[in-house]
Amino acid sequence: MKQTDPHHPHENCLALFERLSEYIDRELDAPTCKEIETHIEACKPCQVCLKTLKQTVALCKHLERRQVPEAFSLKLKGAIFDLVNEKTD
Amino acid sequence: MPNPSEKTKNGDKDTELVRAINSGRQDLFYELVHRYEKSLYNFGLRMCDTPSDAEDMVQDTFLNVFKYLEGFRYETKFRNWLYRVATSACLKKKRRSKYAPDRELSLEEFLPADESAVSADLPRWASQPLDQVLDGELAGVIRQALLDLPEKYRLVVVLRDVEGFTTQETAEILDLTPTNIKVRLHRARLFLRKALKSYHETD
Ligand SMILES: [Zn+2]
Repeated sequence: MKQTDPHHPHENCLALFERLSEYIDRELDAPTCKEIETHIEACKPCQVCLKTLKQTVALCKHLERRQVPEAFSLKLKGAIFDLVNEKTD
Repeated sequence: MPNPSEKTKNGDKDTELVRAINSGRQDLFYELVHRYEKSLYNFGLRMCDTPSDAEDMVQDTFLNVFKYLEGFRYETKFRNWLYRVATSACLKKKRRSKYAPDRELSLEEFLPADESAVSADLPRWASQPLDQVLDGELAGVIRQALLDLPEKYRLVVVLRDVEGFTTQETAEILDLTPTNIKVRLHRARLFLRKALKSYHETD
């Protein structure tokens, strides 16, 4: 990472940056959404910011799910079998 | 927000099963295990450092569910209650993580240092279709980045974005306010995005 003077991006970009997740999740009211959309249309860095964050969320949503190892599944059912029998005895 | 009738419809299959188990059909508990072992195992893989810790977590969860199922209140979805039990099993299991020391993430650490650090071009990993990026190493990068997240942020992003719970449900599962969930979620996502970005920059 480059060490430069913290030159803060535009005030509007900062405000948007804070609310980007809520925007993606459609948790903001209509006027706020509109405001954000108007800004994003005109601001290239914020477009990139939004798209990379959206892709990050999409990646999480689509992570591959592994099968349960068979040996573990058997072990688990064995442990439950013991409990069921304990309770009914 | 799902409407109430939808909520009951979704929960119906589990609710019926839980009622049956609680009225004495304990043999049906295996059906409950069958329904959720894969989800919980994958939740464990995201939350624990090793697959064997994930297995322990799943087993502890089901044993606790068996123990406390009689106390299940039918006004919550069973799946939400299950993840509440699983979450506390996780927290008990892994007091310390190899990867992720407990720390606060601040919004400032994810702000671009200056204007020149803000790329005007969309990076390739963000412009390609999902199935293409997930085929590559990116899935591995994001899995590791999840494990690198401090636990309180990881829990939130895993419940929200990986498991698909709503903000409200996640708040209930973790006993936090919805605002708190949103704050943690945003920081967690920014952390993950940073990991994806730096992976590609050092490529
Ligand atoms: Zn902007």
